[in-house]
Amino acid sequence: MFSAMVKKEFLLVLRDKHALMALFVMPAVFILIMSVAMKDIFSQEAVSFDVALVDLDNTKISKEFVADIKKDKSFHIVKKDDAQFVVTLPKGYGNIENTKNPTKVQISVEDSLKSDMIEIFKAKLMKHIVNLKLGIIKTRLSEFSDEAANAVGAVSLSNNELFTLKYNKQDDVPNSTQQSVPTWIVFGMFFIIIPMSTIYINERKQNTLSRLNSMNISVFSMTMSKIVPYIFIAQVQMWLMIAVGVFLVPFFDTPALSINGTVGALVFLSFALSISAIGLSILIAVSASSSEQATTIGGILNILLGAIGGVMVPKFIMPESMQKLADISPMSWGLDGFLEIFLKGGDIFSVLNESLALLCFGGVALMVSMIILHKRIEGGL
Amino acid sequence: MIKVSSVIKKYDDFTALDSLSFEIKKGTIFGLLGVNGAGKSTILSILNGLSRFDSGEIKVFGFDIKKDIKKIKEISSIVPQDLAFYEKLTVKENLDFFAKIQNATKENYDRAIKINTLEDLLNQRASTLSGGQKRRLNIAIGLLNNPQVIYFDEPTVGIDPKSRNEILESIKGYKKLGITVVYTSHYMNEIEKICDDVAIISHGKLVEQGSLKTLFSSKNSNLEKHFIELTEGANV
Repeated sequence: MFSAMVKKEFLLVLRDKHALMALFVMPAVFILIMSVAMKDIFSQEAVSFDVALVDLDNTKISKEFVADIKKDKSFHIVKKDDAQFVVTLPKGYGNIENTKNPTKVQISVEDSLKSDMIEIFKAKLMKHIVNLKLGIIKTRLSEFSDEAANAVGAVSLSNNELFTLKYNKQDDVPNSTQQSVPTWIVFGMFFIIIPMSTIYINERKQNTLSRLNSMNISVFSMTMSKIVPYIFIAQVQMWLMIAVGVFLVPFFDTPALSINGTVGALVFLSFALSISAIGLSILIAVSASSSEQATTIGGILNILLGAIGGVMVPKFIMPESMQKLADISPMSWGLDGFLEIFLKGGDIFSVLNESLALLCFGGVALMVSMIILHKRIEGGL
Repeated sequence: MIKVSSVIKKYDDFTALDSLSFEIKKGTIFGLLGVNGAGKSTILSILNGLSRFDSGEIKVFGFDIKKDIKKIKEISSIVPQDLAFYEKLTVKENLDFFAKIQNATKENYDRAIKINTLEDLLNQRASTLSGGQKRRLNIAIGLLNNPQVIYFDEPTVGIDPKSRNEILESIKGYKKLGITVVYTSHYMNEIEKICDDVAIISHGKLVEQGSLKTLFSSKNSNLEKHFIELTEGANV
């Protein structure tokens, strides 16, 4: 009996083209778009600038300065028309005798550049200017004292020698693919509200649920038969999204998804997440009076839970108060679990808390759904 | 025999069934008549174990509905007014599904198809069937468990006269198979055509019950006229 109900549910979902689009195509497309679009934002590689150098001075000092800049990997030397920054060394720049009114380096900036990028560029360029000035001071000093000149020459502006920099939680910061794949797995799984509510409400409206109940099919069996296919669908969804992250995203010059954790952890977490999503979907489906109402409520709730839970804006860039608020969203539990697996190589035990929270949420939602459905059937739906 | 005794069903302040009592003889076709809101669907829902009632007693072939509802569901079947099957499945997939969940035998499965002449439609999606064909599928599903009693809730709504006639003829055939039929309809000519006994209910109460022959001879009238006289003032 149960297998027949599961088979029926499978056939109904597989014949719903819109549902399949929402469950499989939409998250896959989003993973591609978001991974590629946000790759620079999530990148932890050094910033680089497209720079054009114009040496109008053409002296020994100006040539040294240009050579020094060209060695810096932060500056990608391009033609003037392609440059974000045009650095001009005016005539007289290398005149070290002119101390009262020294000639300044002129920088012209592309209009669209943000102020933070300009500040970073200025800091980088400043290092080279200071280097140049130190060189001049050293030369001057050497005329009077080798010791003093050597002391100045020993001054280094290299980052490695001036300070050490270490991220507190470097492992917690994902790249764009590591952020996009779990995000859209979680969001996609919660989209089962669309097919589930449509099928459920049609069954209710057409009295098919009543008919099933008159055939001695309990509310428990009806609910359980809906869970099994959607758990399978959730698994397919997850592995498909992972495949997109691993195989498709790299074609767009974006980092591929690397799975550092165990397959067991992925299966366990996605099982818990699907129970949570199914529970919420059935709860909405049994509570709503029409499929339009269910998809509207479900859609809004999905977006809200996603916005709070770190789907729209990654949790690690949220302020602390918002990060705490995010913890109320089951999407955040799922997302944390996936990031634990993808970034930190988590196993089943690492994602136990998130998974148990998701299972509890789903279990409570399913129980409430069954009570509501039971009452609805008794009241003639 | 199905015996409904002093059944009361209330929804908050509204009394849907007000001490309703009637009897249905085994192997007959029983017409249940009443205007909209009279309580027909409520009593059908109670007889199928889908709704509870506040007081009274119901026995279906000796089984008490309060104690033996599971058994009663096994020997009963309802054909709802709505097309209670899956439009995205084929006729065969629908029949297979409803047959499997009720452990229907191959014999009953084949009989349901044959009686409702669905042989040529088995591989057709239910959504593509005509109105009459959909009604026949709806009825065939109700026959799969080989019920001793089958409840029809206005099964001919919205179909053409030819299909209606075919359905009525098939329902008459159930009587020959020993199945008790409880039939509700707004069409008096249908009731006159197929029913042995009739109960007329109004405002949740039994107004009149008897055999069709008795009702005709005693009132010397046609059923529709008699029904209107009895339920005058109610919202038809």
